[in-house]
Amino acid sequence: MSTQYYILIAGYILGFYMAWNIGANDVANAMASAVGAKAITIRQAVFIAGMLNVVGAVFIGSHVTNTIRKGIVSTEILVDPHIALIGALSALLSAALWVSFATWKSLPVSTTHSIVGAMIGFGIMAGGFSVVKWSKLAAVVLSWIISPVFSLIIAFVMFKLIVKIILSKKDPFVWSLKLSPFFIGITVFIVILSFVFKTPLGKTFAMGNLTALFLSLIIAIIFGFAGMKLLSRFIRNRKAGAEAIFKRIQIGTSCYVALAQGANDVANAIGPLAVIYFLVKTGNVGAEVPVPVFLLLFGGIGIAFGIAMAGARVMETVGKKITTLTNTRGFSVDFAAATTVLVASKMGLPVSTTHAAVGGVLGVGLARGIEAVNFRIIIKIMLYWVVTVPISAITTMIIFKILQFIL
Amino acid sequence: MRIPLLSMFIKSPFGGLLKHAEKVNECALAFQQAMECYFSKECMAFKELREKVTSLETEADDIKRSIRGNLPKGTMMCIEKFELFRYIKEQDTVPDRVEDALDWIFFKPEPGIPEELKKDLMLLIHSSINSVEEMCTMVLEAKKYFETFNEIQRNLVKEIIRSTRIKEHEADIVEARLKQRIFEIDLDPVSVFHLMRLVEIIGSIPDHVENAGDMIRAMIAK
Repeated sequence: MSTQYYILIAGYILGFYMAWNIGANDVANAMASAVGAKAITIRQAVFIAGMLNVVGAVFIGSHVTNTIRKGIVSTEILVDPHIALIGALSALLSAALWVSFATWKSLPVSTTHSIVGAMIGFGIMAGGFSVVKWSKLAAVVLSWIISPVFSLIIAFVMFKLIVKIILSKKDPFVWSLKLSPFFIGITVFIVILSFVFKTPLGKTFAMGNLTALFLSLIIAIIFGFAGMKLLSRFIRNRKAGAEAIFKRIQIGTSCYVALAQGANDVANAIGPLAVIYFLVKTGNVGAEVPVPVFLLLFGGIGIAFGIAMAGARVMETVGKKITTLTNTRGFSVDFAAATTVLVASKMGLPVSTTHAAVGGVLGVGLARGIEAVNFRIIIKIMLYWVVTVPISAITTMIIFKILQFIL
Repeated sequence: MRIPLLSMFIKSPFGGLLKHAEKVNECALAFQQAMECYFSKECMAFKELREKVTSLETEADDIKRSIRGNLPKGTMMCIEKFELFRYIKEQDTVPDRVEDALDWIFFKPEPGIPEELKKDLMLLIHSSINSVEEMCTMVLEAKKYFETFNEIQRNLVKEIIRSTRIKEHEADIVEARLKQRIFEIDLDPVSVFHLMRLVEIIGSIPDHVENAGDMIRAMIAK
């Protein structure tokens, strides 16, 4: 019995390490546009990202964690809990190794892809090819292609819309103030909806889907108009133009991004940990019990630690390097990326926050909003995207064999 | 590279473009000084001023090259890459022409400009310099337009472009008058050739500015 507990402790350590890595590296991608557009300072970014990653992880993070836990590897067939335990630990270890290697070599690798690849390796070793749920996996892989494209389209449309209805007008300041309830409202709407739609929180209040929709709409409208009142009180200088208004709105959207990131990325750290946890506690992985909140909280806090310890340094570079991004552009990028990630999270799809953010920037670039963007980055990302999955799968298999020999 | 978003953002070419335009403007002002110096018999600084123009021209060239060299394949901009290259080429012709004019004078400094032509030639130089200054403002305002996409800003840029066209036309009239005068006054054939060529070189500056304006017009077209 004691081996199991050692594995659980090792799982906690590695899970925390993965979470730390997400916080240290990936958060910069999510907060880059807000920091780059000077909407928030680095200190504020660290604070917002830290807090809201935890909130997102705890309240919305269970869907994706469940996908990692029992969506990729068919858990019913994992008859031998000992083998399953070793497999889950190998998956976590191999993902952690690959992410460390990527950080060391500065490769654009996604933690999401590493963990999914590792889970595949785990499934193959523990129960053979038939254990891997290929259809579910196909949906996940498809979401990797769709999510950046989706984000690109939203960012493109959003920026074109801002140009059309605000920037090109005679008095952009007045128009952006007049239309601010729409921009604030739509953001709040999606956030509230994600909290109450098909979540434990929504069930507690005994809310049907229609009620949830209606409630979100009402709150969004209230927030929108309250936001407009606040904006018109704080910004008196008309000369500041539309960018000054969007600078304030962007504080809100950067919260939105952090929330979405917590919701989606926490699974990368604690997905395999949840497998180990359930095996040790119940002796089976596929239990219909939801992921305990404390595990999600554990992952969220790990991310927050990473942000606090290393995030600031990374974001400093971001602020210096990204100088061509204005607030209207930053808003479009943030909104697109966060919406994409949050929608994916609700569907239980583990997508990469980084890729969604990249898609958003490309969307604004395609809308001719950014003076110069490097499109070739997509090819590089795709390359590592394709490489990451098999590498972490194979590493998992090797570690599995070694661990099996030792334990 | 661990952070893909960082490597996506490339230094904007517009900053360099504006820097280049400012350098060209500086070069044009130095040219004006050099010409004023050449006009007055007392001034001895022509050689230094010519060297100044030459070094400014080289600096402008360096900026041009750095813009061209720092746009990797796969760069997406708010304007076409080759549109930008063609534009810089046109803008960079201005200091080339300025340098040519001073070189041409340097080859045959004597006997100088005849008294009766000085006023008109100075006028031509002034209107050339004016249009170069206008070009500098045009780049600045166009840069602002690409940040805001504002209709008022767009009209402002169009207004400047129109003014470069008008300035070119005015310079043409002065140039024509000068050429007529060169034939009217009694000069030896070599001097006529020398003056004709000089007037043509200086007169081509507003033409290039006008071309640059037309290119900007194409860039801001919806």
